[in-house]
Amino acid sequence: MHISDGILTPEWCLAWFAIAIPFIAIGVWQMKRNTKENASYLPMLAMMGAAVFIISVWHIPVPVTGSCSHPIGTPMSAIIVGPFPTVVLSTIALFFQTFFGHGGLTTLGANTVSMGITGTFGGYLIYVLLRKINSPLWVAAGMAGFVGDILCYLAAALELALSLNPGSVLSHWAIYSLGYMPTQLPLAVAEFVFSAGIVQYIADRRPDLMLGKLWGEVTDA
Amino acid sequence: MLDRFTKTALVLMVVLTAIFITGAYLGYIGGHEMEGTDAIVEEHAASTAVNVEATSSVPAITDLVGEPLGFTIAGIVAGFIVGYLWTGLFRREENA
Repeated sequence: MHISDGILTPEWCLAWFAIAIPFIAIGVWQMKRNTKENASYLPMLAMMGAAVFIISVWHIPVPVTGSCSHPIGTPMSAIIVGPFPTVVLSTIALFFQTFFGHGGLTTLGANTVSMGITGTFGGYLIYVLLRKINSPLWVAAGMAGFVGDILCYLAAALELALSLNPGSVLSHWAIYSLGYMPTQLPLAVAEFVFSAGIVQYIADRRPDLMLGKLWGEVTDA
Repeated sequence: MLDRFTKTALVLMVVLTAIFITGAYLGYIGGHEMEGTDAIVEEHAASTAVNVEATSSVPAITDLVGEPLGFTIAGIVAGFIVGYLWTGLFRREENA
């Protein structure tokens, strides 16, 4: 989902920035508020930021398809530190990833929308829904990782289709999605495994560090 | 004597490295380039439009030192940050 500079039209680059900026602003506000409320929030944010950066940049080979790709890590981060702050972490991670040849500065908004917003909120929504029907924590977290990962790539495919193929968006969205999916499905399973494992571990050992509220204060975690 | 966290981290590192190397090796002996899916789809998408080509607005570290070294540096830096903060956040439970 790391779309490079030069691929999207300037209009679409601006449009994706316009969509991303309100989410980032809310995330920054929540970060400031939550840091004041809970002393563990800042180190947890820093740890999740480093984790999202490395999880979403390191290519994992999938020999069956003969290519490689990466998980995204943002659904796990959303459950632990909250979805809006995760958008900020994702934007920072994507910015530094441009220095590793992944993505671009002009497409930072588009990449934030796919990985930071769609992957994050899509996964978080699944997590909340599954927890509401009393699903075990590890299943809800794992499914958040799986679904968030897939949704992120569907969003990236849509961004490409909207910008490059305005006359045939749906058919090209399907084509680009099919290009991503064979490699991404096994990695979404990997995302299920580590999201489930890490969230369950933290909930078992330090439930007070499960700070991923959508709007609420972190002190009641 | 290694503590529990260090042992777990080392085991994870060895297992993940083995998975990555085995996966890459199986791919290469199968005759594949093991290129990133992002680049493959992006190239295909660019080919469907006129005058669209991937560019780079910032100098990439991986262009200077190569991808293996570049990503190793990234992994070491991020790994130290995660490891340092993880031990800090979970020390209370592990010492209990």
